[in-house]
Amino acid sequence: MPQAIKLSELAYEIQETMEARFEGETFWVTCEISDVKKYISTRRCYLKLVEREGNNTNTELRAVFWANYYNEIELFEKKTKQNFADGIEITCEVKVRFHPKYGLNLDVVKIDVAYTLGTIELERQKTLEKLVTENPKHIKLVEGNYITYNNKLSLPIVIQRIALITAPNSDGQRDFKQELEKNKHGYAVEVTEFLTQIQGDNAHQLILEQLQLVYSQKENFDMVAIVRGGGSQTDFKPFEDYELAKTVAIFPLPIYTGIGHDRNTSIVDMMAREHKTPTKVASKIIEHNFEFENSIIELKERLNQQVDFLIDNAKENIQDLKRLVKLASPANIMKKGFAIITIKDKIIIDPKNIEPNTEIDILLQDEIIYTTVTKKEKNAQRTNL
Amino acid sequence: MPKELTYNKAFTQLEKLVEQIEDDTIQLDTLAAKVKEANELIVYCEDKLRGIEKEVKSAAAKLTTGARSKVKNKGK
Repeated sequence: MPQAIKLSELAYEIQETMEARFEGETFWVTCEISDVKKYISTRRCYLKLVEREGNNTNTELRAVFWANYYNEIELFEKKTKQNFADGIEITCEVKVRFHPKYGLNLDVVKIDVAYTLGTIELERQKTLEKLVTENPKHIKLVEGNYITYNNKLSLPIVIQRIALITAPNSDGQRDFKQELEKNKHGYAVEVTEFLTQIQGDNAHQLILEQLQLVYSQKENFDMVAIVRGGGSQTDFKPFEDYELAKTVAIFPLPIYTGIGHDRNTSIVDMMAREHKTPTKVASKIIEHNFEFENSIIELKERLNQQVDFLIDNAKENIQDLKRLVKLASPANIMKKGFAIITIKDKIIIDPKNIEPNTEIDILLQDEIIYTTVTKKEKNAQRTNL
Repeated sequence: MPKELTYNKAFTQLEKLVEQIEDDTIQLDTLAAKVKEANELIVYCEDKLRGIEKEVKSAAAKLTTGARSKVKNKGK
């Protein structure tokens, strides 16, 4: 019978050996993370650090963030705008630890955020370059700005039919709709919701599907709003996806984005019209409609002014005419000492028929003089009158 | 008023009318008709912006077709 020892004795032996080699030492490693399980209440995170060669995993070690290092994860998410989730590559500092019951574990004590930021930036530049080189007709880089088919589409004169892509029961959905509903001008806006998960691993795919759904009924909408809001500043990744960005860039309806990043701009934002937050997207729409109403009001004022002017003008003309008519009336002229000459009640304008001995009546304002002409000659004084 | 009026058509037509009215050669006897048309266009735009036109239409549709209505998530 072989000489056996207790399992715990062996475990103790291993532990001692490991400690002798690794005690007090830390190592920086670059690896992919998987099986990430975060326990927010106890502030712990269990995960696996893996290394792959092609499709095969050649190394896989268990790792853990204890409560006093959990803030490393929070810091990572805040700075990289990425969820600390399966599939991402990180560089981190680890301690090697062996426990008789729990086996080999790596305690993660630090994450190199700069490394991840660097890979994200690199990835981003690659995606942007690909967008420009593979879609030269629709996406152009002009003086640092991305000019796309979509963000150059002209907006309809009034925006009233909106396709809203957002997450169900989310802050973004609520903020967007509230801002539209409480608009002080009382504009009516019809929102049709296309609800989907908007963060997480396959969010870009889900958003893309919703966009395709909008496309299939595009004549029903004036524009598309993609919004996401609330406090979470993490998970920028879906909006950095090549396919989603390309679809946005060539989409035939104007797209407003409000995906809740005040300082950063995602690739999707660059392909569309970026308005940062759901509330701002909604207020931009109302502002746009207000501009239209304003131009209507301006026309209305011009119209009223002109009508007033024309009517005043017409009234003045009538007054002038009245004055003229009054001045020219025989009664008025006779007041000034002029007389009317009649022969047998007929007013004489042309004196050529008046010969000496003709009986004429001279009508003055108050009296008539009946008389007979004794003499007629040319009026030499006429210019003196 | 023309059929199938849109904001664009209404706006262009209104602009045209105001320009005609601002032209000093306008005849007073055509003014009333033009002002009436312009005012109708303004009311159309104002009503449509506030969804009044739609409400009237859907109320009329309900009267003629019964209670058939399309349920949509309306931002109102």
